[in-house]
Amino acid sequence: MNQSKPQIIDESGDKYKYGFVTDIAADTAPKGLNADIIRFISAKKNEPDWLLDFRLKAFEFWGKMKEPKWANITYPPIDYQDLYYYSAPKQKAAPKSLDEVDPELISTYEKLGIPLKEQEVLAGVVAVDAVFDSVSVATTYRQKLADQGIIFCSISEAVREHPDLVKKYLGSVVPYTDNFFACLNSAVFTDGSFVYIPKGVRCPMELSTYFRINAKNTGQFERTLIVADEESYVSYLEGCTAPQRDENQLHAAIVEIVVLKDAEVKYSTVQNWYPGDKDGKGGVYNFVTKRAACRGDNAKISWTQVETGSAVTWKYPSCVLQGNNSVGEFYSVALTNNYQQADTGTKMIHIGKNTRSKIISKGISAGFSDQTYRGLVRIAPSATKARNYSQCDSLLIGANCGSHTVPYIENRNKTARIEHEATTSKISDEQLFYCLQRGISQEEAVSLIVNGFCKEVMQQLPMEFAIEAAKLINISLEGSVG
Amino acid sequence: MAGLLQNKPLLCDDIPWINALRQKGRMAFEAQGVPTAKTEYWQYTKPRDLNADDFVMQNSEDYEFLSVDEAHDCHCGKGEHECHCHHGEHECHCGNGEHECHCHASHEEGINLAERVLPFEAYYLYFANGMFIPMYPALPAGVEIKPLAEAIFDGEAKEYLGKLVDIEKHPFAALNTAYGEEGLFLRLQNGVKLDKPIVIWNHSEVEDENVFYNLRNLIVLEKGAKAEIFEYFDYKGKEKSRYFANCVNEVFLAAEASLHHYKLQDEAFKANHVALTVVRAKREAKYQNFCFQHGANIGRNEVVVQLAEEQAMADVSAAYKMAGWATLDFTTDIEHMAANTFSDQLVKGVIDGDARGVFQGKIKIHPDCVGSEGHQLHKAILLSDTAEADVKPELKIYADDVKCSHGAATGELDENQLFYMQSRGIDADEARRILVEAFLDDVLLKIENEDIRAYFKSKV
Repeated sequence: MNQSKPQIIDESGDKYKYGFVTDIAADTAPKGLNADIIRFISAKKNEPDWLLDFRLKAFEFWGKMKEPKWANITYPPIDYQDLYYYSAPKQKAAPKSLDEVDPELISTYEKLGIPLKEQEVLAGVVAVDAVFDSVSVATTYRQKLADQGIIFCSISEAVREHPDLVKKYLGSVVPYTDNFFACLNSAVFTDGSFVYIPKGVRCPMELSTYFRINAKNTGQFERTLIVADEESYVSYLEGCTAPQRDENQLHAAIVEIVVLKDAEVKYSTVQNWYPGDKDGKGGVYNFVTKRAACRGDNAKISWTQVETGSAVTWKYPSCVLQGNNSVGEFYSVALTNNYQQADTGTKMIHIGKNTRSKIISKGISAGFSDQTYRGLVRIAPSATKARNYSQCDSLLIGANCGSHTVPYIENRNKTARIEHEATTSKISDEQLFYCLQRGISQEEAVSLIVNGFCKEVMQQLPMEFAIEAAKLINISLEGSVG
Repeated sequence: MAGLLQNKPLLCDDIPWINALRQKGRMAFEAQGVPTAKTEYWQYTKPRDLNADDFVMQNSEDYEFLSVDEAHDCHCGKGEHECHCHHGEHECHCGNGEHECHCHASHEEGINLAERVLPFEAYYLYFANGMFIPMYPALPAGVEIKPLAEAIFDGEAKEYLGKLVDIEKHPFAALNTAYGEEGLFLRLQNGVKLDKPIVIWNHSEVEDENVFYNLRNLIVLEKGAKAEIFEYFDYKGKEKSRYFANCVNEVFLAAEASLHHYKLQDEAFKANHVALTVVRAKREAKYQNFCFQHGANIGRNEVVVQLAEEQAMADVSAAYKMAGWATLDFTTDIEHMAANTFSDQLVKGVIDGDARGVFQGKIKIHPDCVGSEGHQLHKAILLSDTAEADVKPELKIYADDVKCSHGAATGELDENQLFYMQSRGIDADEARRILVEAFLDDVLLKIENEDIRAYFKSKV
């Protein structure tokens, strides 16, 4: 902590440009998981009793649950007792402004490409909440947002300062009984972001969270809660990275979104956790539960995700369309290379009348990777005139990868219309030849074609993210051709 | 489970290999149990009734009494078969000349087989409540048909029985293996092309007992052979009979063989019908399946095709039409295990009442099976507010140079079309009927045999 220069160790010899470790003193709970650790986490964060109870209930339930095995992924069993469940960068007191934040942390984020200090100069439109290992480090633009009544802070802060809101909505979309990983998260979640957009407010800038797992053997369990009150709008971005390590890291997050009447939330993710090296060693296990509930009429939720990282991805951002005329959208690009495995997709639960949903999923598998689109469209008997359109395209690069599509379509209302289409193809030789004869190298040509293939989804991303995502795809594709 | 696992004497229980196989089947079923909603491939079709313990299994000795000839006491080939013919019209049709006619045209009260023919020319074979009735049609040379028990006894079944079915993944097939004794062994020799379809008529007629029977057919087509097989399941008797038919077919298609496999399931409306057909197709073999499900409370027809060598082809189509409380399930699993193999699936259904239609399709392309093509399409129409359609068209692809697609759509009858017809003086019911018929028409066109197509059409 006393070093004058920030020391950033770059262990990477590989292409993962976020594979550095920041040498920063951390406050860590002992390894393992038991009720005491949960009490420790809760005490560390000065949490009220109701939240501790919530955690302990979740922990008790978790003990009765079994790890799900239905997904098309294989990984060695995770020893949940061999992990650190709390790791916070050591700090004297909570930072009042950015100047007080540890300069090493700041430089880590600079390396990640989110220079907190330069936000105003660089983009001027994005407010960032950065989560390092388990704890939210800094939130920019607090004041500007607060003027409009928007709350954007870490969830631990929200628990202290807005307990009513948190108590009302926490666990209301993803109850702790939901699934194994969500239950684990409910017991041990350490931090995350909280967003509340008051009635009638259109959030003037894009809100953003950056997650990073730094310490060894830590699991990151963040929890994001977004509440969009009536007639409000917010666009939220999320990015993730982790250092390169030989052992696997665990990430089990929950994102809950509540969209009330006439409100709209747009949630974009660029997930770039460390995918492991080219032999499949190391990498993050990414088990995420994301769900949005359109509680009021005419509510809208739009998920956009670009998944290029993680050794194992298990993620199904879902939309529960309760309000009449509510709309759910899911745009996804998933790219797997080397030995990555991804089982991802969405769930569209239509409950209200005239609800509409749209699923556009683009999967690209290369190397020895395995990828599955798994999506559910369920039309409840009450969802008169519901409408769903799904399109799942996959692209295979090389003969050793796998690409799978498993849509589940359950229709219980005769007036509903559901369409599902899927295709699987490889990059056509003609397209490649066309590019090559115009002097474009093989690798560039592939990235050109892949970017064209994903364009429909990339268009949904906010500008800064779209550029980053396009670059990420190019990096991830490296070495997949030839 | 209790009702399904019973101790009963089985035919040929002194033959070690079949006993070992039955034992394996029993263990596999015990390990898996009756599937629940948590079983991935059974999550939509809940075989809830099958946990009942009031199922009655019949002993196959029973079918001795079907024989009018008291002297004849065994059908598994132990004794020399002699002529049991009491009508003298038939001649020997076993293909190997030793057997003579086994006709007992009127041996059981209530079931008059003479009248039981379908409106097209065919070779007829009959089962009553899952028991084979040893009555053979006049078959051309090179076609061999015998009861499964006989094929077990003389060892011919050993090469085929249980070779295709994965009993670790199919609990009911495991159960079927545990009780494997009834069924047919059917073999077409090299190049034999059948002129008429073979109809396997499975007739059920039960009283108060909830009969549970297992049926296992082995169908072997040698090189270049060609056949049409029509499986027909029907019922007569007490309306609310809750019997359980558990059928497994294993089909072996040698190079260039071609099989048209039709199935019409028209069981009692409270009955349970679970069927699995596993096919292995060698080079240039062609398997065409069409299944129409109409009856049963739980009707499940699962087709697994292994396209094991190049240029093998499978066309698996189905239609279902239902009302009431039924759950009709059509599940497929097409495995492309060699390069340049082709498959096509078209499934269409009309669901009314409180019924539930299920389609679980799967295409799996193994690594290096380049040049393969697999297509899948499911369409369903819901006619009532309480009907439900559950669809899971699945693709698993491990090779890059392939063409695969799947599609699914569900909806209701087009109101504009209805209006159009009504405005031309066709009443609403009639218009609906015409639209449903037209909707199912293109899947019926998959049936090449025109007589059979016409018959299906009349049933639809």
